[in-house]
Amino acid sequence: MAEPAKPTAATGTSSAPGSAAGTPRLEASGVKSPTLIYSMSAVEDTRICVVMVGLPARGKSLIAGKIVRYLRWLSVDARTFNVGTYRRQDTPQPTADFFDTNNKEGERMRRAAAEAAVKDMLKWFAQERGTVAILDATNSTKARRKWIAQTVSQHGIEVMFVESKCDDEDLIMSNIVEVKTTSPDYKGQDPELAAMDFRDRIRNYEKVYETITETDYTYVKLINVGTQVVINCIQDYLQSRIVYFLMNLHIKPRSIWLSRHGESMYNLAGKIGGDADLSPRGFRYSEALPDLCRQSGITPQQNITVWTSTMKRTIQTAQHLPYNKLQWKALDELDSGTCDGLTYEEIEEQFPEDFRARDDDKYNYRYRGGESYRDLVIRLEPIIMEMERQENVMVVTHQAVIRCIYAYFMNVPQDRSPWMEIPLHTVIKLTPKAYGTKEERFKANIPAVSTFRPKYSSAKHQEADSPDVNELSVKMNV
Amino acid sequence: MSTSTTTTTTKAASTTMATDPSSSRNSYFPLVNDRDKAKPSVFDASKVHERWPFVKGEMAPAQLYTTETGRLFHSGKIAIITVGLPARGKTHLSVALTRYFRWLGVTTHAFHLGDYRRAHCAPGQDVPPDYFFVNASPNSVLLRQNILRQCRHDIFEFFDKHNGQIAIYDAVNPTAAGRRQLAKEFMKNDIHPVFIESTCDDMKIIEENVRNVKIGSPDYAGWKPEDAVKDYLHRINVKIPHFETMEETELDYIKMINAGERIIVNNCRFGYLPNRIVFYLMNLHIKTRRTYFARSGLAIQDSYKADASLSEAGLDYARRLADTITKFRVEEHREQVARGGSEEERPLVVWTSTRVRTVQTAAQLAAKGLKVRQRQQLSQLNPGAVEGMDENQIKALYPEELEKHKKDPYHHRYPRSESYHDLAVRLEPIILELEREHNDLLIIAHESVLRVLYAYLMACSTADIPDMKFGRDEIVEIVPASYNNLSRRIPIPKGIHADTPNTPFGFPPVFKNI
Repeated sequence: MAEPAKPTAATGTSSAPGSAAGTPRLEASGVKSPTLIYSMSAVEDTRICVVMVGLPARGKSLIAGKIVRYLRWLSVDARTFNVGTYRRQDTPQPTADFFDTNNKEGERMRRAAAEAAVKDMLKWFAQERGTVAILDATNSTKARRKWIAQTVSQHGIEVMFVESKCDDEDLIMSNIVEVKTTSPDYKGQDPELAAMDFRDRIRNYEKVYETITETDYTYVKLINVGTQVVINCIQDYLQSRIVYFLMNLHIKPRSIWLSRHGESMYNLAGKIGGDADLSPRGFRYSEALPDLCRQSGITPQQNITVWTSTMKRTIQTAQHLPYNKLQWKALDELDSGTCDGLTYEEIEEQFPEDFRARDDDKYNYRYRGGESYRDLVIRLEPIIMEMERQENVMVVTHQAVIRCIYAYFMNVPQDRSPWMEIPLHTVIKLTPKAYGTKEERFKANIPAVSTFRPKYSSAKHQEADSPDVNELSVKMNV
Repeated sequence: MSTSTTTTTTKAASTTMATDPSSSRNSYFPLVNDRDKAKPSVFDASKVHERWPFVKGEMAPAQLYTTETGRLFHSGKIAIITVGLPARGKTHLSVALTRYFRWLGVTTHAFHLGDYRRAHCAPGQDVPPDYFFVNASPNSVLLRQNILRQCRHDIFEFFDKHNGQIAIYDAVNPTAAGRRQLAKEFMKNDIHPVFIESTCDDMKIIEENVRNVKIGSPDYAGWKPEDAVKDYLHRINVKIPHFETMEETELDYIKMINAGERIIVNNCRFGYLPNRIVFYLMNLHIKTRRTYFARSGLAIQDSYKADASLSEAGLDYARRLADTITKFRVEEHREQVARGGSEEERPLVVWTSTRVRTVQTAAQLAAKGLKVRQRQQLSQLNPGAVEGMDENQIKALYPEELEKHKKDPYHHRYPRSESYHDLAVRLEPIILELEREHNDLLIIAHESVLRVLYAYLMACSTADIPDMKFGRDEIVEIVPASYNNLSRRIPIPKGIHADTPNTPFGFPPVFKNI
């Protein structure tokens, strides 16, 4: 009588083009059914081309990169198409003259690069069913914007312009410094000459630059990093979400500290879930944590807030930290439903199919009556938004939660993020930079069990190797 | 967290307030109660103008955390000051923002200067004709100052005595000089002023708004709508000849042009609440559309973890639900056309959770060709360790938890369960999409979820939420209005199977013959 697959299949077939890539299948409580689930409702009918607008050195690529990272983390398929990359195929290291509007040949080649990027972008929408594409170029004239709007909207894709307008000289200079040291256009050149040439290039663009005033287009204009924001004709929820995200971004220097709770009694017993107290070694970690924080560069003057979950083990871990603390329900550990309180051996024994299914697709697997990593990401979205807005934050939380937060900042894909090893008794410090995030790890010299279980391994928890004293590792994600 | 005593006082306070407005010390509240006197029931009209969150210790549905001051740590005290001529939707905006912020746990109150003006005039009388003039007569200036003083007094009292965090000062505020003065006065008191201007250069939107909101008054009884609109707009122009749009770049302002078509945000850099306001405004629209709430059908096994399929009775309910809503909408459309209204039919969209029973309840509607969307956030409250237990069983296993639960059923969390508060925080992103949706919307979900969403739309207090009843014998309809949302119920005919009994919710009016 009951046909569980039917209603969900009906929803599935109603989805428009542009959904498949960003919207994987979910298994509701172990039942195989082609259910489509979106973290945002409007996504299934929406395809958006975000067109960056602005002079060079206004942080356009930085903004584009952040939007892509945020949307991908939310499982919205997003990709940047950088016109400069296309132009470099023919003209790897042009001088400023190339960008002079009187240079007919330069003009033609730049136009060709834009056309190639748009062509590839449309192909991506059509063939790979992308949801949000970002066209990263100066797009500084009305004529160019009109051409893009017409070409793209013909294909039923919404066009949204994002202009970064800035006349703060300090900010532009720091961007120029960044560009001359990182841009492939100036690779191997004298930095001083590169900076001069780059400023000439900007001047050439300034001659023809027209700020966006086309009121019939959807646009967001960010003036001097948010001193004034103009928002025009927002068409749907996804667009409003992008704007809200942009309004929360800031470029002040700051770091984020992540730590799992100390070793818990459940960790010792090899059980998952629960709301157990810390083990004696876990309590030792909580006592060592203030010192470890100081070693990781938190100064007494620094204004830092500690966020914990509502579970005993994170609150106990943070108890000696001399900073403001907040408890968030959203930071609670992934809910393992019926498996809560079991060991991996017991799960393997009692739910062998589930155990296997989880390893097959750990990101999408939802525990019976519990959550999947995908569910967890949706729950964590407001946390990420608030972290973007805040300055220094330390988060004391759980393994799965840290995996998701770490995946956001370090851009880790979904097939890898649930398998990352996040050891106990270790502080991870993340420092966002213009083109990547710097990672440092600080280990406390307190042994703990390893709760890490590799894919398809059977379930034995073990004592981790005794860690090196205050081992420090530094890594840069670009 | 609220303790037992505060919860009790909250309930007591709200009861006395409904019956005895004079017990309130704040001069503003009796005025509001007068306006609401005609209310037949606590539940049929939105409580957005009531004062419940001012009671110390009381929390709002989706408050993220508590602080000693009762204010969010993200921001200090904020005065949102509206700017704009009449009929630009300022009141609609003030009320919508109040509802949203209260729900988020920010102690918010809207102070409509118009209410104070009316309170100063004899019934049927208006302020003197030169009241809004720059060169008004000394008497008018005096009256104006008097009215303003009283309103400001209430605003400051709200901040000082009621732990208020956001006061929305709903007035015309037509001149730059006046606004600068106002900003100075608030800042002197450590209150951050944020202006929201609503301006319109599209006459169609203004006329539409006048038609919907302004000319329902007895003054225009018997007028032709076009003439009434013209007369009203003419009266505004005569009354307020002098208006300057906001260009004071040193002030923090949000300018909404043509009901949100364009939004200019000036100087509100990285403020949590201003950013939230903008996000909300981007999704707010003034089109009126209906929201319907319905329970999901009964499942074979009533268990959170089992996530079972619908039972026979459940499938029968799903059919009756689909028939009722379809018939109701056909009938309503027929009446609308008969009244001479638009022939256009508003499409209906269905949202369910990802739980099997809600999805299956919507299957009948999906088969009729309606768009059905599953939303992960709409899953019911997780009952945790006390799933399926009755009070005696809980008492045997968790006697202390039961006591705690009785004292604060909204915030208390049984072992491994979610509280209503957790649920409300989880539902927060849904609220914005709810505002964004242009189509009529049927939400098929679990009772716990319906309670929380209903509490948002009708501005209910946390004390009410855990006891609200949504039965399987009715669909609840929310009809939006500028000053207050209203709710009505649509009965679902009895089915062939015996339903679990439920307490009638008591929404008037009951629709018959559908």
